[in-house]
Amino acid sequence: MIQKSVAENVIQAALETGGDFAELFIEDKRNSTISMIGGVVERALAGRDYGVGIRILKGEYSVYAFTSDDSEENLLQVARSAAQAIHSNPIDLTLNFQKKIIENKHHIRVLPNSVSKKQKVEWLRRAHSAAMAYDPVIAQTTATFIDTLKDICIVNSEGLFVEDRRAYNRMGISVIAESGNNRESADFGPGSFGGLEFMEQLDIEGIAKEAARSAKTILFADHAPSGNFPVVIDNEFGGVIFHEACGHGLESHAVARKASIFADKLGEYVASPIVTAYDDGTIPNAWGSLNIDDEGMATQRNLLIENGILKGYLIDKLGGRKMNMDPTGSGRRESYKYAPTSRMNNTFIAPGESTPEEIIANTELGVFAKYMDGGSVNPTTSDYNFSVSEGYMIRNGKIAEPIKGAAIIGKGIDTLKKIDMVGNNLGLGVGMCGASSGTVPVTVGQPMIRVSELTIGGRGGNS
Amino acid sequence: MNIQDFQTELFAAGEKAGFEEMELFYSSSKAVSIAVYHQEIDDYTIMEEGGVSFRGLFKGKMGYAYAERIAADSIPLLLEEALNNAEVIEVDGGEDLFEGSPEYAEPRPFSVELEHLDPEKMIQAAMDLERIAYETDERVAFVQYSYASKGVNETLIANTKGLLCHSKSAFTSLGLYLTAQDGESTATGGESDFTIQSFADLDSRKIAEKAVHEAVSKLHASSIATGTYPIIFRYDTATELIGSLLGQLSAESVQQGYTKLKGKLNEQIVGENISFVDDPLMKDTITYAPFDSEGFATRKKDLIRNGKLISFMHNRKTAKKDGVESTGNAVKGGFRSPVGVGPYNLYLEPGDSSLNDMIANTDKGILIVELQGTNAGINFTAGDFSLAAIGFLIENGTITRTIDQFTVAGNVFDLLNDVSVIGNDLRFRSAITLPSIKVNGLQVSGSQTLE
Repeated sequence: MIQKSVAENVIQAALETGGDFAELFIEDKRNSTISMIGGVVERALAGRDYGVGIRILKGEYSVYAFTSDDSEENLLQVARSAAQAIHSNPIDLTLNFQKKIIENKHHIRVLPNSVSKKQKVEWLRRAHSAAMAYDPVIAQTTATFIDTLKDICIVNSEGLFVEDRRAYNRMGISVIAESGNNRESADFGPGSFGGLEFMEQLDIEGIAKEAARSAKTILFADHAPSGNFPVVIDNEFGGVIFHEACGHGLESHAVARKASIFADKLGEYVASPIVTAYDDGTIPNAWGSLNIDDEGMATQRNLLIENGILKGYLIDKLGGRKMNMDPTGSGRRESYKYAPTSRMNNTFIAPGESTPEEIIANTELGVFAKYMDGGSVNPTTSDYNFSVSEGYMIRNGKIAEPIKGAAIIGKGIDTLKKIDMVGNNLGLGVGMCGASSGTVPVTVGQPMIRVSELTIGGRGGNS
Repeated sequence: MNIQDFQTELFAAGEKAGFEEMELFYSSSKAVSIAVYHQEIDDYTIMEEGGVSFRGLFKGKMGYAYAERIAADSIPLLLEEALNNAEVIEVDGGEDLFEGSPEYAEPRPFSVELEHLDPEKMIQAAMDLERIAYETDERVAFVQYSYASKGVNETLIANTKGLLCHSKSAFTSLGLYLTAQDGESTATGGESDFTIQSFADLDSRKIAEKAVHEAVSKLHASSIATGTYPIIFRYDTATELIGSLLGQLSAESVQQGYTKLKGKLNEQIVGENISFVDDPLMKDTITYAPFDSEGFATRKKDLIRNGKLISFMHNRKTAKKDGVESTGNAVKGGFRSPVGVGPYNLYLEPGDSSLNDMIANTDKGILIVELQGTNAGINFTAGDFSLAAIGFLIENGTITRTIDQFTVAGNVFDLLNDVSVIGNDLRFRSAITLPSIKVNGLQVSGSQTLE
């Protein structure tokens, strides 16, 4: 994607003022989106993003610049203007690029542009038809198909020269159920890090029907109660609780500045002894996986918590310098427009001993969170929140009436210590995570878990 | 390749390819952002971005494509993608291109001073923010970041029907985010401000002191008992909560079935004290815009007047569908996005109470100064919300303690029927602005036993 000689000249220029590390990140991305509203294709959009990010480090100080003009003349100019932000004596560096061929662990069998738009429209139409056919209360659908093919190249002053190809595709289905003046919606968005072979085997009708069922259930559900309850959180996307309550707090950009409740706690109990958790960027074709991170380092399986004890953080190159620790293959960025920082890949709580049936049966009065929307966290105070889109009351050890509109709030370590049952049904769910280096695909995951007490905020009163 | 040459070549090639009408939308931004940590530069980012989107009418259907590279090799790609996209579109005659409005308000002001602002001044300002924050209060444990940024944005819309709209603007902003600590208690707070005129407008001391006050005032918070409370949403949380639901006023949401407001024009939908106005032509606001993303002249108009729904926001496509005229509310989230509908400067008409008066006139209630989880905790379709919050308990007209670890829940339409006081503190900073508002009663969930 870039000639070695050009890369070498730009890196030399970037280091002219005394930087001790320079890196080029070149990205060429093709993107296509088709939207169908109420069974009619309303929008189709496609395009190409292309650009180069130049990063210079000097100790713990970082300069970043980016441009979409990749002529050598412009890259040299951008590198030199970025270098102006560093005032030091140049270090004598010998550049010796070794093109590294990485092992591709995440195969792309069917390239996005090898499938016609008509075929993609057909997938959307199947989702629309299945949802509409589910029940007369289903009033509207929006179905969207997005595919992306991204080629990247990373070159740095340590001699790294590496390329990677990444493909993503995702179908979104949003279903509205309507009765009288009430309407509710449910959204599902299965996706894959890989080629369109994912869509060929996806149970499109099954997902559309599940979205329709969820929308109908929410339409006739009561408002969630408010107060404190034991909460059972289902597997797969339920893992958003760990992502918010803990994951963000383990990222080095927060830990290095002690802006995280988890700073200086390695080796200490931060969770109940039945909790073990990983961030694993190597799972084949999982939504949050990568061959290499956006700094060119191979992703790895990182142990975060083992039997309740904090074992590791998520560390990028700059975070590693600040913390005096090795990077963990966690440097990520949305695009060449962002300097990389420490981010999650596929983060999950490992399976435990209990069956889902046992967890429900052992809960006298509580809340069962079946499907979640996203959440957020303030890593400094560890106050987090997430929303339950479809939930149920648990009464006398049985799942009872459906509830909607529940927010769940808590504090990170406090919550992790209150996890008192962990199921044996680990599952992963796909999501998008937004932070300082942009929005990146991540997997959240867990088996069903129970937290002994959490604050539920709903419009209903005490239950 | 400059944008004029690119346009000429693109339209010539497009005509050959069979496009009946064509439009080019170009946007570019150049920005510099500097962050300081411990009185040293911590991060320095130089941004240059931009690109074009093309839309063209092919056999009566509009195809879209975009590219970041303004170079000859992007032209075949744009035309081919737009053509492929036009072919799968299933709505006929929904969109056409616009020849331009008869007249436009004066162009956006452009500050040459801000365009040429010396980065050294920005570094100094960011360092001042950090230093003042530490000096202001010993409970400031550390300033997480302190930054200054400046940028220049440019937009051009040109089409084969003769439309030519151009705008250019510059801005500078300063801000910081910090952690306060006192004993075991930790809280965070931040503040930022911007100018589109002169760097001298920005007061580092005021910004830093406000951030410190925000963080320190949140220390030693505890939860609250579950129940129904009168709630005051400070202007920023009012804007965040209600603002996120004003998409309900977009004709696009109405036509797609995503709002409760379908068929409610000229009906009383909220309390009589509620009037929402969209005024893109208000001078000195960052959102000032004489034309929208389709080149349509903007104007001031009522959307809700005394609780009655007067008009939805329209672009040319939604207006045509409803048989009305565009309201000049076409928006494009950058050159990649298709043309949608949205506000330019939508605000709730202010009342005459100050926030302090609102507090003083509250026997028992909660002042909310931070909402969390607005990315997921608001149900746009039904209008329901349940959000984590930070605020203060008010007893007998005085703030008595800081509260956190609670949620506030309700429905935005019900809420707008239940506003008892509207504040006088409008602060125009984005496309949507509300003053502080007081609501008679909302459900709050908390736990005083939680540490």
